[in-house]
Amino acid sequence: MGVIERDPYTGHGTTGHEWNGVKELNTAVPWLVWAFLIASVVFSVTWWILMPAWPLGTTYTKGLLGDDVRKDVAAHLQAAQEERSVWTQRIDKEDFAAIQADPALMKDVRETGHALFGDNCAACHGLKATGGPGYPDLIDKKWLWGGTPDAVFETIRAGVNSEHPDSRVSQMPAWGKDGMLDHTAITDVVAYVHSLSHPGGDGKESADELAAGQKVFADNCAACHGADGKGSTDVGAPDLTDDFWLYGGDEASIYDSVYDGRQGHMPTWESRISETDRKILTLYVLDLGRSSP
Amino acid sequence: MISTMTITERQIALLISVLVALCGIVLAAAGRHDPIGTHGLLILLAGLAGTFFILRGYYDPEPAPERLTSYFDDPIKVGIVISMIWALVAMSVGDWVAWQLAYPDLRFDGAWSSFGRLRPIHTTGIIFGFGGNALIATSFHIMQRTSRARMPDQLSPWFVLAGYNLFCVLAVTGYLIGITQSKEYAEPEWYADIWLVIVWVTYFVLYLRTLARRKEPHIYVSNWYFLAFILVVAMLHIVNNLALPISLGSSKSYSLFSGVQDAMVQWWYGHNAVAFFLTAGFLGMLYYYLPKRAARPIYSYRMSIIGFWGITFFYIWVGSHHLHYTALPQWVQTLGVTFSMMLLIPSWIAAANALLTLNGAWHKVRDDATLRFMTVAAVFYGLATFEGSFLAIRPVNSLSHYTDWTVAHVHAGTLGWNSMIVFGAFYYLVPQLWKRPRMYSPALVEVHFWLAIAGTFVYVFAMWNSGITQGLMWRTYNDSGTLAYSFVDSLIAMHPYYIARAFGGLLFLIGTAVGAYNIWMTMRTVPTVIGTQADRPVMPEPSRPILQAGE
Amino acid sequence: MFKTHYKLERYSIGLAIGIIAVASIGGIVEIAPLFTIHQTVEKAPDMRVYTPLELAGRNIYIREGCYACHSQMIRTLRDEVERYGPYSLAAESQYDHPMLWGSKRTGPDLARVGGKYSDQWQTEHLNNPRDVVPESIMPAYPFLTRTELRIDDLPKHLATQKELGVPYTDEMVANAVGDAYGQAAPDSPQAEGVKARYGDATDIRAFDGNAATVTEMDALVAYLQILGRLTDAAHKQEVTGGIK
Ligand code: HEC
Ligand code: HEC
Ligand code: HEC
Ligand code: HEM
Ligand code: HEM
Ligand SMILES: [Ca+2]
Ligand SMILES: [Ca+2]
Ligand SMILES: [Cu+2]
Repeated sequence: MGVIERDPYTGHGTTGHEWNGVKELNTAVPWLVWAFLIASVVFSVTWWILMPAWPLGTTYTKGLLGDDVRKDVAAHLQAAQEERSVWTQRIDKEDFAAIQADPALMKDVRETGHALFGDNCAACHGLKATGGPGYPDLIDKKWLWGGTPDAVFETIRAGVNSEHPDSRVSQMPAWGKDGMLDHTAITDVVAYVHSLSHPGGDGKESADELAAGQKVFADNCAACHGADGKGSTDVGAPDLTDDFWLYGGDEASIYDSVYDGRQGHMPTWESRISETDRKILTLYVLDLGRSSP
Repeated sequence: MISTMTITERQIALLISVLVALCGIVLAAAGRHDPIGTHGLLILLAGLAGTFFILRGYYDPEPAPERLTSYFDDPIKVGIVISMIWALVAMSVGDWVAWQLAYPDLRFDGAWSSFGRLRPIHTTGIIFGFGGNALIATSFHIMQRTSRARMPDQLSPWFVLAGYNLFCVLAVTGYLIGITQSKEYAEPEWYADIWLVIVWVTYFVLYLRTLARRKEPHIYVSNWYFLAFILVVAMLHIVNNLALPISLGSSKSYSLFSGVQDAMVQWWYGHNAVAFFLTAGFLGMLYYYLPKRAARPIYSYRMSIIGFWGITFFYIWVGSHHLHYTALPQWVQTLGVTFSMMLLIPSWIAAANALLTLNGAWHKVRDDATLRFMTVAAVFYGLATFEGSFLAIRPVNSLSHYTDWTVAHVHAGTLGWNSMIVFGAFYYLVPQLWKRPRMYSPALVEVHFWLAIAGTFVYVFAMWNSGITQGLMWRTYNDSGTLAYSFVDSLIAMHPYYIARAFGGLLFLIGTAVGAYNIWMTMRTVPTVIGTQADRPVMPEPSRPILQAGE
Repeated sequence: MFKTHYKLERYSIGLAIGIIAVASIGGIVEIAPLFTIHQTVEKAPDMRVYTPLELAGRNIYIREGCYACHSQMIRTLRDEVERYGPYSLAAESQYDHPMLWGSKRTGPDLARVGGKYSDQWQTEHLNNPRDVVPESIMPAYPFLTRTELRIDDLPKHLATQKELGVPYTDEMVANAVGDAYGQAAPDSPQAEGVKARYGDATDIRAFDGNAATVTEMDALVAYLQILGRLTDAAHKQEVTGGIK
């Protein structure tokens, strides 16, 4: 046992030990430490009594407050829904035109639509709904399936080429890959389709080529895209005469569309997003288009 | 290295190396169609390197018997160097992934350079590579000094150090080639896990044997912490890594646990990896180097006792605070919160005991950057534990969990506390072990200190901001009572913070590089006979005089 | 108390035993009852196991460290349920060795991402996230489409899981290779068996758009598309906030 010394600075005694020069003072534990220790234990014990806390073999103590996170969150969700019902009820009941005419209600639609669209739709259609290669722009006022609120609502509900029984079905055949048209026919029709949206052309295609292409188009494509190439919202065939392109309007992209075919897939949202929210999304998307230049 | 071992030890070392090489061959052959084959080759290489080293020095003269009158410091020196190398590598990777979160295409074409594979390299490299080697080196130093006894043999320290680093290398190279168990901080696969158990048992036995030779009647606080670190990490490691490999020729294994039980086991492990690896062991360092450098007695022996047992007992309960509001039953969450609250008290006792030790030495803190590193470490330890207990409160955690706030907390702890105490300890140790009057450049120690402090602050403030912003954006409701922001909105808001964090990390990394350079240059200057601070000499073994007649 | 300690600290073995004793209690009390309290894991009688292809995809998810950025655990909080869907139940990950709940959301939660997007979107997104989401900071994984999936060892994977208690049948284990191939090759003869063994609702598609080869992309997308869909339990439970 070492000799107990007194630390000149603090006045406390040491324990009398030394380890390679390190000594320890035998300072008493300050009362504050005990106080905090006891307080934290008292707090914990209280909490254990109030809350579910200790396991007992095949069950556990439920706590006096009977708290249950799952019931809590259910109650929160319920309360939130009721709070919103002031305006969501009107969304449910009123028709699209009436809602669109009501600025107050449209404010709720815009506020709600932002995150709803951002979390579910933006991955494909972009944060600003301007689309991208393979995913349609939703604010350009050109619609594959029609731009009425009912048509848009239906697209969102059932999707396109989705697994939903009511899904819209669209199929651009693979004319080249499946051997329905030969190479010349395809290059001709590609040149022709390209010229539809580029009146006057880029000067590369010959008149013969365009004429041949027009024939191929009338024979094969007009069924869906219409004799004038303006498309059809019944089968989701795009208008080929405008400058809106789902997959790109340069000749190479058009060639790919014709050769490989296309089959866009828009998921169904019926089981994932409530009817109210789908209605809000419809209104939101149409509103974005309306406010875009 | 080899010259420090006796002939018998060399023979055993040779045997071990050959066995390791053989294991490597077996794995390489059994797993030739599997990533484990690559690791087999790596293990073979390690075994061969060991064999080569030993054979090369095999006929060197045996160490003189006088060695028994001095401490065995060579493994400590090597441990410090390895630790600094890991620090540089893992912090560089950390900063790289930090930049990737701001500019995701800052990578190479290969799969290996994507965030998901590099991140565990950073965490493993820094915690186990940098932290682990620092722990091994300082524990070797402290256990000998506070026992006034030399380590019992020359082989097991080398085995622990080399074996442990083999584990670390297997871990990080594994992630690069796609080997991982996905369990955070326990990612290495089954064969690496088994190897670590072997190394760890050796480490524990070595520790006990050294303590058994001690000349001081009482075991010093630092050693309590190191013992807790070694023992509890062993327990955690073994249980959390229980897994069934699909075959002995495959790196892939499936955890014995699944779902909610697995989550609880994982965070029982994960939290206590923090507690017993990043806290208990490092408190061992703090409790020796701080009083030593300040030349002050520990403030209160009694507070040491309460702090130690409080930490050891309470910590184990709190892992469930990583699983608040999840599918983990609520009763476990309640235990997690309450024990996290109680845990704050012993944690602060430990921090306060260190800071009160500085009473009467504050002028030294002002003048001496090395002591300042240690002091700042104790302060950040207090901060991180306070923040931790705060984050463990369920409503707070509902905001902070899943966000960068956790990352801020982590780095307040790891940069401010773990790294600072290691640097303080190394600046104290290096001149002594290499027998130099002081570090090569005290000015550079200052530079390192300020870079580290600045880096830590920038990092932590950036992540506090981003974490809280993120957490708030995810739960902000607009007037209509619906969510105001989409996930991607919050992602866009993070960008400036991610740049700031990467910049802060860069400052910290530069500081580390300055430190490494300073240590390197110190090693290269001409040794003087006396180090800065003479240790008490080792006391001879009473039963076995060092120099026996006729020897 | 301090006196006792004064004695104890003279014995290293005594200290070691004390440490182990004190440090074991918490784990035992918190972990063991999770196996004995029945409410811990809800009943989910309709739950199916991962198909071999999905399991392979899950292993790629682990290998690439997706869990470092994505959670698969929707907490019992209003905002999470409103954003991601019904909160996660313990039952949903009962066959997950190990679980992938995650601890960080650098990217969004994926617990209910199955069926949310098309296969084509998933493939494009994994190939280069910024092609479809310009704001994304997720890494690109273009090599997945280029890399053929290793399926020869899948029986061993299933057998190991079976040993750990996942209800795979011997038939499933025996047919693992064919099932993995068939699920990604809808027109192949092997496709038949997949539905027979794993249920009619199983997705059988060329997930990466190319039925000719089974790639790692096929596996990973198949896995992503099943997330949250192994059981309906979370939607059925009134309180989880599932939409009616
Ligand atoms: C997986 C990607 C994806 C997601 C997510 C997605 N869509 Fe679509 N969406 C598409 C594709 C592809 C089309 C075009 C389908 C086609 O080729 O006809 C489309 C078409 C549409 C159309 C019809 C456009 C027209 O011109 O007629 C509307 C409206 C629409 N989406 C709205 C939404 C809304 C609202 C959401 C979110 C709830 C959403 N989409 C989510 C891929 C997606
Ligand atoms: C069976 C109906 C059908 C026929 C016949 C058809 N198309 Fe289409 N086409 C579609 C549909 C539907 C789409 C849109 C696919 C999508 O949304 O994924 C489309 C898309 C296209 C596009 C891409 C438009 C864009 O915006 O990127 C081009 C170009 C095109 N068709 C050209 C042709 C040509 C040329 C032919 C004749 C050789 C043809 N189509 C015949 C249905 C048809
Ligand atoms: C660096 C972090 C990071 C890593 C690693 C990462 N992701 Fe992502 N992930 C994100 C971010 C950020 C988003 C949101 C932006 C976006 O959609 O790209 C995201 C989005 C997603 C989405 C869309 C989720 C939704 O609901 O919109 C899926 C699916 C996904 N990731 C799967 C994966 C898979 C599979 C891996 C691994 C192979 C992976 N991620 C790795 C960051 C990451
Ligand atoms: C140069 C300094 C460093 C930089 C730039 C850095 C950067 C990072 C980054 C970017 C992440 C990932 C965060 C995320 O997923 O969003 C991370 C995680 C982590 N880092 Fe660091 N780091 C540094 C130093 C350290 C040090 C010194 C340690 C330990 C001693 C450390 C321990 C960790 C841990 C434990 C995590 C995981 C956090 C979690 O899972 O929540 N880091 N670091
Ligand atoms: C009283 C002490 C402490 C408590 C109660 C505590 C509590 C917590 C909490 C609540 C979290 C967040 C969990 C989540 O939401 O995901 C956390 C994460 C973390 N803490 Fe602490 N902490 C303490 C001290 C420390 C210290 C000293 C360090 C030292 C480095 C540290 C390192 C970490 C790490 C690495 C994580 C990240 C884990 C992960 O998600 O990967 N903690 N801690
Ligand atoms: Ca492991
Ligand atoms: Ca395929
Ligand atoms: Cu924790």
